[in-house]
Amino acid sequence: MFRTRLTLAVGALVCLALPVARPAPPIAVNQFLELQALVKPNKSEDKWAEIPWQASLWEARKQAAAQGKPILLWEMDGHPLGCT
Amino acid sequence: MVKLASEDFIPVTGDDWYQRRREDAEGEFFRKVADQGPRKGAGGGTRQGIYCFTAAGKLLAYKNAQDADVMREVVERALADWKKLPADERDPGAVKVGDAGKPDKRYHRAPPADGLILNVYTRILERDGKGDYRKGSCDTAGGDLSARDHLWLTKGEWQALLPKDVKAGDHFAMPAAVAQRITRYHLVDDTRGEPPFWSAEQVRKAEMRWTVEEATAATVRLRLDGEALLATDADPKKAERGYEARLLGYLEYDPAKKVVTRFDVLALGDHWGESELTRGARAGRQPLGVAFALSKGDKPADTVPPQAARDFGAYLGK
Repeated sequence: MFRTRLTLAVGALVCLALPVARPAPPIAVNQFLELQALVKPNKSEDKWAEIPWQASLWEARKQAAAQGKPILLWEMDGHPLGCT
Repeated sequence: MVKLASEDFIPVTGDDWYQRRREDAEGEFFRKVADQGPRKGAGGGTRQGIYCFTAAGKLLAYKNAQDADVMREVVERALADWKKLPADERDPGAVKVGDAGKPDKRYHRAPPADGLILNVYTRILERDGKGDYRKGSCDTAGGDLSARDHLWLTKGEWQALLPKDVKAGDHFAMPAAVAQRITRYHLVDDTRGEPPFWSAEQVRKAEMRWTVEEATAATVRLRLDGEALLATDADPKKAERGYEARLLGYLEYDPAKKVVTRFDVLALGDHWGESELTRGARAGRQPLGVAFALSKGDKPADTVPPQAARDFGAYLGK
């Protein structure tokens, strides 16, 4: 009896540790827009995107020289506007 | 910070993977600036960070930080130093910058001519008590935010989505090359860093079918239904990393103007696992959403290449 309980307990723990197979349900047509909006960035988390970032360093350099401004470069491994 | 960066600077972003490698005028200029700071890229290492510098290439400030307060301090200090420079280093037109010349094609990416750019957003989700989706949370700073990427389609690829003489009720499959690009390179969890992409064999299922909902002289509207299973093992139960999702999408086309006016796709399902650069995944299978939407392509930021375009040939299926 004790062994059975122990086996069930261990089995339950193993099940909890493993990913549970759960096939994805179809996306409801009438929820499409709401779900799409949920995934997209909202305004509060998209504040930095309001900055008019250039994507070309050389173009930024030309504009900086012409306008008499310094350059602010945000350089990351994985493009800041294209990855994460 | 937004006002400061927008009004007092020329703001620009870059992917260091390209910038530190490119052998052309832009790459040389970047390295000249970066070499004045602490990160000189020894051994081909990263030079990532926030840089403030002049058009002539004089470094004003550098910091490798993403904290907004730290960034503000660095940028304000750089601006103060900028204002101390002599007029011949900072007046409009004082520094002459010519054309960059030919870019190093190995490390220069441009959107396909007359192609389509889709914005791609990825967000971790969770289910509430009723089973409905809501925004998810995780222990990694920023991991709950919507991540970004771009999907590029060539002119031939998007035109192939609009066969001639279609009528309402017709069905056809998504071209295999586009289905592969979506699944291998965009149904990924990039919410905590640079994601690993799926190999061709890890695409266990990529079924996508278009249905023509309307086809008139004024508009063609298609609906996309699909299923995808990505897994590092042929048996998903044994896979260390995977994503099992349903897809739903809509494409609208204006036949008179010959332009795509809408291209929205949503993938929803459970993702599990992590990688070297995406540590901190939630335990077990957890909901992940990926939303695609047509980009206007009218801002420089829209031209940022897909993360997977570093291997451009593979990305385009060549």
